[in-house]
Amino acid sequence: MHYDLIIIGMGLSGLMAARVAAEAGKKVLIIGKGMGCLTLFSNTIDLLGKIPETVKLEDGLSQWIHDHPDHPYGKMGLEKIEEALSSFNSFFPPPYTFQSKNGTNSLVPTAAGTLRPTYLIPSTMMKGISLKKKKALIIGFQGYKDFYARRLADLFNCRGITLSLAENPQKEMTSTALARLMEQPFLRDLFSAEVKKQIRDEEIIGLPAVLGVNDPTKIRKEIEKKIGASLFEIPVPPPSIPGLRIFNRFKARLLQKGVTFLSGHPVTKVVLKGNRCEKIEVSHPPITNSYSADRFILATGRFLGGGLIADRLRILEPIFNLPVAQPGSQEKWFEGSFFDEHPIHRAGILTDVTLRPVDERGNLSFENVWVAGTILSGHHYLHEKSREGIEIVTGYWAARNAMRQ
Amino acid sequence: MDLKTEVLVIGGGATGAGIARDLSLRGIPALLIEKGDLLSGASGRNHGLLHSGARYVVSDPEAARECIAENRILRKIAPHCLEETDGLFVSLPEDGLDFRDRFIQACQETTIPAKLLSREETLGLEPDLNPALLSAVKVPDGAIDPFELVLANAKDAEVHGATFLLHTEVTSFLVNGNKVTAAFAKDLLHGEEYRIEASYFINATGAWADNLLKKVGLCLPMALSKGSMLITNQRLSHRVINRCRPPSNGDIIVPNHTVSILGTTSVRLEDVECFEVMPHEVSLLIDETSKMLPNIREARLIRAYAGIRPLFQSEEKDDDRAISRGFVLIDHEMRDGLNNLITITGGKLVTYRLMAEKTVDLICKKLNIDLSCSTHLKPLTKRDHPCSLKDRLKTLGSMETLCDCELVGIEEVIEVLKEGKLKSFQDILRRTRLTKGTCQGAFCVHRLLGLLHDLGMVKEDSNHILKGFLEERWKGIRPILWGSALKEEELIEGIYKGIFNLKKSKEFGVGSSE
Repeated sequence: MHYDLIIIGMGLSGLMAARVAAEAGKKVLIIGKGMGCLTLFSNTIDLLGKIPETVKLEDGLSQWIHDHPDHPYGKMGLEKIEEALSSFNSFFPPPYTFQSKNGTNSLVPTAAGTLRPTYLIPSTMMKGISLKKKKALIIGFQGYKDFYARRLADLFNCRGITLSLAENPQKEMTSTALARLMEQPFLRDLFSAEVKKQIRDEEIIGLPAVLGVNDPTKIRKEIEKKIGASLFEIPVPPPSIPGLRIFNRFKARLLQKGVTFLSGHPVTKVVLKGNRCEKIEVSHPPITNSYSADRFILATGRFLGGGLIADRLRILEPIFNLPVAQPGSQEKWFEGSFFDEHPIHRAGILTDVTLRPVDERGNLSFENVWVAGTILSGHHYLHEKSREGIEIVTGYWAARNAMRQ
Repeated sequence: MDLKTEVLVIGGGATGAGIARDLSLRGIPALLIEKGDLLSGASGRNHGLLHSGARYVVSDPEAARECIAENRILRKIAPHCLEETDGLFVSLPEDGLDFRDRFIQACQETTIPAKLLSREETLGLEPDLNPALLSAVKVPDGAIDPFELVLANAKDAEVHGATFLLHTEVTSFLVNGNKVTAAFAKDLLHGEEYRIEASYFINATGAWADNLLKKVGLCLPMALSKGSMLITNQRLSHRVINRCRPPSNGDIIVPNHTVSILGTTSVRLEDVECFEVMPHEVSLLIDETSKMLPNIREARLIRAYAGIRPLFQSEEKDDDRAISRGFVLIDHEMRDGLNNLITITGGKLVTYRLMAEKTVDLICKKLNIDLSCSTHLKPLTKRDHPCSLKDRLKTLGSMETLCDCELVGIEEVIEVLKEGKLKSFQDILRRTRLTKGTCQGAFCVHRLLGLLHDLGMVKEDSNHILKGFLEERWKGIRPILWGSALKEEELIEGIYKGIFNLKKSKEFGVGSSE
């Protein structure tokens, strides 16, 4: 099977790239060994969380771009970043939107009782940013182990209760199971009735981010009407339901546009000719399938996604064996405190300004390969709080640049 | 506060807890004092190997005899703390067969059951072993859970009247002529000070024995030997795997609960508080153990840690106080003219009971009373919750778990919390299997904090506890970060630094485990 573009990796950057190419009418294959990391970490859209909440993000970002020419944002520039973000946003029209508060970062409460700066916030989390100003009630669920209402209440200085919803033979629930339960009308009735009994004079009610997978705004509105207070979702440890919502939205639209989706397909080999990639192979012994394309985008993430691997001496990119910017010898990969900025996180693929991979001297590795997402070098997404921003912006522009050629 | 007891036991490792149990079973009032928690030293930082004695059978038959005798006793009195896995001593081509033949001969002389297995028989039992092996010898090694064992001893001691003073350090002694009359101590967490009078003082502080004796102006030549170990994310073999050669680096692999422990190294140390595992030790352990089990090269490591062996350096003059090279019992009346001070150190985890018995025998002799030991006859009480992996697997799905790696139920944790006397967060972890499994506490510690808030036991900002734990965990994770361990690391950083936005505490580096 021959494609105009093959995208390897199903995280947010790969999905953005697929979308750009599909909307340009191209024949696109997106292939991943899993279903990407959206369902692990993404709740809101981080652009550059380290810019203080008092500064307009656009201003902070301009300065950042100026100071960091080798950062993916530095390579793209402000206009391109804004274009990519608005493209992402157009996928989420009301009612489930991603918005900033006054164009600045805002502090969103988390399941650890901390506040976290982020930029674009889904409508179901918006009320959480006024946690400190309003009377709040935090609600947890019996049997759901990653969210403790009392702990949050103690840390946020508000009230917290744990609801026991139904006789559950399993005794334990994951965020996914809770989100599916929330899609059942009878459970929403039960939940609303319980909350109504518990509520005193609280104006906002926080609960783990499980307000359904498919239509969270409808579920939120319905419950809010019954209890007479505003609801907000709080990000929890993986799996992330808000991340799943993003994934599902992209997948549904991309399938509509004729994109071929292959998950559970690890790329085992690439077939090269000169400095061009001709096809990729996926081996599920004894069967090997190959897929050819004019252009390829590598968006395989970092170590967790399998985009980078490391033996004890160095870091490698396993699919194309692209040059990787190394963070020194293994003893230097990590610092003495868990919370330090570890040099290993700066490792990644070097690219030119069009996101094509290059070696240390700037020589192009392949003519028809582009690279997107956190696998890129020159950023520190954890400390910058820039994960989704880098994914959206580089995914969008890798595809745009690839289409141009 | 002034306290009074008959015997003050200093040190809360296996030896100290064993002595407290032995004393209380013989009806002698005892108080155990420990500057950390139970198991803070080598007792909580070892292989978890139930020695058959075979490892020492050629080099130190006396220690081997003690091991096999105690091995048999532990199987009777503490079956819930053990896993009867058996052990194999594997001969690789480079080891030759001379040592193996001497080894089998010595096992017979020492009454350690040893059965020679052919290459095929061995690979039939353990298919992942290096197929180039020549043969193996099967011996009754096993796995032991030091935490269950020491806690069971402490519990039984308490039931029989012994008392415990944890997180309390002996700061000085009052010596009057040829007697120690009192010890002064300080609660390291809350600052309370104690004056403890006793008729007898026992120094069971393991590697810290010399440090303690300095407080009465004595010294003890100790050789501090750091042993480093690695933990893999799954069990790599059914049995304990040893190398059939004179004891050396990286020649033991012990399956323990859900993991395997690879060990050990031996590095001479000056500082007894230094537990850091060096990169070359990690390399050495992988290189050596993978000669026996080649897939160790691909295994996911989840932690590196080290313990300090309290080895006694024999003094020049012929010393009849040394019962064997395995452990050493010193009556300071004979050695230094201090009538009521005894030091017990050296030895193995497996021989803790014998060490306690000999120590309490000496006390009885000094007291001139005839009370015989019964610790080898009376079984240790099993706690209510399931201990072994097998028993815990039976509970799968029927309970709400806090730790999914090791199947630790919320009820079990609440039970430990209700027992009380917990002074620090790490105390809870030592009394459960929490943080000992595949994720090394990355998921369950957040849940444990939630539970503590739910129970109203913590009300303030508990994230400093979480951060302290993550920093402590980091010490064991950092040396093994490459290969597939990097995946988990990215996940954990993504949760705590990403989703939770936790940042470094200002007080990083001091008292992070409180």
